[in-house]
Amino acid sequence: MAAISLDRVNKVYPNGVSAVRDVSLDIKDGEFMIFLGPSGCGKSTTLRMIAGLESITSGELKIGPARMNDVDPADRNIAIVFQNYALYPHMTVADNLGFGLQLRKVPRTEIDKRIAGIAAMLGIGELLKRKPAHLSGGQRQRVALGRALVREPKAFLLDEPLSNLDAKLRAAMRTELIKLHQKLGTTIIHVTHDQVEAMTMGQRMCIMRDGEIVQVGAPMEVYRNPADTFVAGFLASPPMNLIGGRLDAEAGGLAAIAGNAHLALPVPLRAAYAGHSGTPVTLGLRPEDFHLNGSGLSLSHPVQVSAVALEVLGPEVILVCELGGKGGPEIMVRCPRDFTATPGQSLTLHYDLSQIHVFDQATTKALPRPSLV
Amino acid sequence: MTELGSTWALTPSDRRDRRFGWLMASPSLAILFLVILFPVFWALFTSLHDYTLIAPNFDTFTGTGNFTKALGEAEFRHTLWLTAFFVLAVVLLEFALGFLVALMLNSVERFKGIYYAILLCPLLMNPVIVGLIWRMFLHPSLGIVNYLLSVVGIAPVNWLGSTDVALWTVVMVDIWHQVSFMIVLLLAGLSALPKEPYEAARVDGASIWQCFWRITVPLMRPVIIVTLLIRLIFAVKTYDLIYIMTRGGPGVSTDFVSYFIYRTAFVSLNIGEASAMSIILLAFVLGLTLYLYRYMRSLV
Repeated sequence: MAAISLDRVNKVYPNGVSAVRDVSLDIKDGEFMIFLGPSGCGKSTTLRMIAGLESITSGELKIGPARMNDVDPADRNIAIVFQNYALYPHMTVADNLGFGLQLRKVPRTEIDKRIAGIAAMLGIGELLKRKPAHLSGGQRQRVALGRALVREPKAFLLDEPLSNLDAKLRAAMRTELIKLHQKLGTTIIHVTHDQVEAMTMGQRMCIMRDGEIVQVGAPMEVYRNPADTFVAGFLASPPMNLIGGRLDAEAGGLAAIAGNAHLALPVPLRAAYAGHSGTPVTLGLRPEDFHLNGSGLSLSHPVQVSAVALEVLGPEVILVCELGGKGGPEIMVRCPRDFTATPGQSLTLHYDLSQIHVFDQATTKALPRPSLV
Repeated sequence: MTELGSTWALTPSDRRDRRFGWLMASPSLAILFLVILFPVFWALFTSLHDYTLIAPNFDTFTGTGNFTKALGEAEFRHTLWLTAFFVLAVVLLEFALGFLVALMLNSVERFKGIYYAILLCPLLMNPVIVGLIWRMFLHPSLGIVNYLLSVVGIAPVNWLGSTDVALWTVVMVDIWHQVSFMIVLLLAGLSALPKEPYEAARVDGASIWQCFWRITVPLMRPVIIVTLLIRLIFAVKTYDLIYIMTRGGPGVSTDFVSYFIYRTAFVSLNIGEASAMSIILLAFVLGLTLYLYRYMRSLV
């Protein structure tokens, strides 16, 4: 097991494309870290640099105490699980599992023992004689995982290992990976663009965009306090509603104004945002922070909306509506499963003001605010 | 045409489609029958008779006589062995050289198109032209090869006139002509290999050699077998190079089976026996083709 640290790591390809810029990150020994971001954000490239499959243009990579920049992938003692599994198609499952050990000249009896152990753990014991072509997606996934586990490496690097599985299997494998981490306690870096994986699996997540780290933190911390509009719009589904508006001084206070909607800010926030009065901002309102009934909330503000459409999901209903009445900006609101409304219907919802987010429109960064929870 | 198992399941429109399909295919089928199937059966028929150009008739049925006579002839057996040796030599050397170049080209990033164009040049040339060019190059006193050798002080070699050298000269020219075929096919195979197993192997700790032997060769096996077999079948039929460059000589040192059959038919005028030899050769090539076909089917 080992800690992994990146210090101002850059990756520039020979054609001049800069894929990763100044990434600095400390991953603790035994931590389950998620790299989250859209396609092309540099998360896989960062992972491949840690694995040694991509060279590091500048900066320093350490696995444990040792600098690893120029160390061969084989000597980094890490294991990687690829998105498409990258099994050796001509080898049986047993050979796939044992190949790395064979190359390291581990004695045959030891190899067999370890293969049997891993196969039993992952439930692939009866597949050992088969070739990858005769396995299902989920089984291949397990073999790829087994190939990483059997080497007993210092860290596991998982490059979108669940993205090729169907939804049900993905949910099952998610749980299994979490259990596996609890059992082994090995450092894991899991690359994904799926925010459900990011929220549920990792102890911390590192959100990347355009080759740079945008925010690092525990999932709920990031959910509660997104650093900018990108994180706010990326995490959770449906994501936070981001509406252009402004902060205006109103009689005796400060209000967030978006279209026809006025949200009078509570006292602690007034102080925090007072300096931004009159400036254009982006308001961030999570769909789950609108309530049909404001009685249970300590800080709430009624808002008028005009219903546009309903998305009935079963456990809940997503109400698509216009904030502040007809013609206002379109937002999504999470409602209980028995909620109904007709298009064009005018409704009064209550917004939980302790959860309002305000972002600077120019920099897209969140304006600092006191915690109201 | 439909792939329905039995005719009773066909609807009238299926039947109409089927008739139309046969109608469309019939001209090509007729031509194929005329120029391929008919000559093959004609040769088979001829091989069973004592048919010569002096007495061109099917009056005397000899049964397997022509076959036993051909196989009993030391000269025919010699040409079979010589052809086998030539085929093995060119296929193995072309394969080794072709695989090496294909591996090198596979890792080349720039000017790939130019390398391809240069490589394909010999392959685009007619074997007769290749033979003529090389005959000039290799001329004992006027050829450029011996001239270049003399520049560095090496005594001239009688490339096509010496019984020791002629076979190897033909092998060399064939390699020059055909090696790009191997390169192109193997390169296509190499570039279609998945990248990920190599990355997995690098992390697993495999060296370049281990990657080659444990991953590239096993993954390339189908391509290698198909390439070898195609080349093998074509090499067995080598005729043009011999006709242009050596006419089977000096002596019988480059007397390949296809050239020997030609001489039996049109110099000795013994069409019956030549047909029998052709059938023997055809059976051999057909056996190889069948194996190739079966193998390719087993991969699907």
